[in-house]
Formats: sequence, structure tokens, C-alpha cells
Amino acid sequence: MDWAAFLPLFLTAGVEWVEAFTIVLAVSLTIGWGASLGAAASGLGTLAVLTAVTGGALSSGLNVHAIQFVIGVFLLLFGVRWMAKAIARQAGLKALHDEDAEFRETREKISGGDWFAAWLIAYKGTLMEGLEVWLIVVAFSLRSGAWIANGIAAVAALLVVFAAGLSARAPLRRVPENAIKFIVGSMIVSFGVFWTLEAMAGDVWPLGDWSLLALEAFFLVGGQALVPLLRGRRVREARA
Amino acid sequence: MKAFLKTLFGDVRNIAAVGGVVAVAAMLTGIGHGAWAVVAMPVAALLAVGWLAER
Repeated sequence: MDWAAFLPLFLTAGVEWVEAFTIVLAVSLTIGWGASLGAAASGLGTLAVLTAVTGGALSSGLNVHAIQFVIGVFLLLFGVRWMAKAIARQAGLKALHDEDAEFRETREKISGGDWFAAWLIAYKGTLMEGLEVWLIVVAFSLRSGAWIANGIAAVAALLVVFAAGLSARAPLRRVPENAIKFIVGSMIVSFGVFWTLEAMAGDVWPLGDWSLLALEAFFLVGGQALVPLLRGRRVREARA
Repeated sequence: MKAFLKTLFGDVRNIAAVGGVVAVAAMLTGIGHGAWAVVAMPVAALLAVGWLAER
């Protein structure tokens, strides 16, 4: 088991599944648990097909180094977004993600709609949140080839979140989403920077794979240093 | 489709920020200073995060 990949995969998937579960829960109050979970299962089925097709296509006959650059850039696109969002929320520039608010919004959206529209919301919600999980699974699996282990990490997170959510039958508001988003974002940016530069410049990292730890420390400390800077600027602008 | 693309790539600012980070690394690598990119690319990525967080 590649634990260096397992942890970011499990946490990333966990955050996305919490959001998906919130939508499914809201829809279940309109069309019932059976239909709502059926829609979620359909979304997951679509994802499974997507993963199998892309996994098979990408792992057969393609040089991993040739696509390392593309995957690295994808990780940067994804991780930078997550880190920026988490820092903006921590600095008070954006409201903290509120599962209760998302739950209410989804309920309002479907209150006047029909059965199929509500089903589609649960299906699309699960599919779109799951797509982010799929991206990370593909990116990590292309490098390590550990499709099954990485898939297990994503599915384990899904089972944990859905089991917790079903037992509570409530939005999972206690999950410290912002902190997880920041840590996972910094991990993903570290991998993105490492792979992209390795693809462009070869073996330039002075500590080899261990450089990832240095990168992770840099982004964790640097990201936290940005919080008071952004908060201070906001206060100065408010006073001006 | 629009939601799918946004999930994959993020918005225009996100693409511009990451494009800038990759451009810095590509420039340094292109002129034979790959070793400098080891320092410059993480710094550029952190600046990109700060720039995006502010917006």
C-alpha cells in the first residue's frame, strides 16, 4: 500500500463525498431514500465506468513520463484552487462552507420541481463531486500504477462518509472541511509542482522523492503565512 | 458540459494562475536554469494561491 498516495486520496475523496451526501440527503426528503440513493448509485456507476475506461486506455501503451506533465498541471489546477479557497475562508474573505446552507439551497431548488428533476440533482451532484475524486485517482494511479489501491482509498472514504451520514441522517457539519481542504490542497500542489517540473527538467529535485516532504512543509507554512497577510489587507481596505 | 469543464480546469483566473506558474518553470528550464526552477516554481505556486485567495 502506497500510504503517501492513500492519505491525500482518502481525504480528498472524503471531502467530496460529504458534499455529495449533503445533496443526496436533501433530495431524499423529496423523493425518498430509495430513489435518492438510486440516483447516487447511478452517478457512482457512471464514475466507475469512466475510471475503468480511462484507466485502461491510459495505462496501456502510454509512456508515463510523457503524460506526467499533463497530470502535474491538472494537479496544480486542482490543488491551487483548493488551497486558495481554504485560505480565503480562513482569512475571512469568504464564508466558511456551510453544509446546512447547501442542504437548504438544494431543498429550495427542488421544492417546486418534479420527481425526475430531483433525481437528476442527486445524480449530477454525486457525479460532479465524484469527478474530482476521479481526477485525483487517475493522476496518482498513472504514476504508481496502483489503480486498485487508489480506488480502494476513494471507495473507503465513500463508505465512511455515507455510513456516518446515513446513521446521522443529517448534513455532516462537524467535518472540519476547511482544514482538510487546506491540507489536501497543499499536498496536491506539492505533487503537481514536483511532477510538472520533473517532466520538464528531468531529475532536478535535490532530494529525489523526499523533496515532496520539503514542498509539503513549504506550502503548509507558506499557506498559513498568507492568512494574516490577506486578513490584514482586508482590514486596511475596510478602514480606507 | 460547462460544469464538467469547470470541475476539470477551474475558472479563467485559476487557469491563468497555473499558466503563470508553469511559464516561470518552463522559462527557467528553457534557458538552462532548471536548478533555479526548484526554488522559483514553489514560490510562484504560493504566490498564485495568494492571488487567487484574494479574488
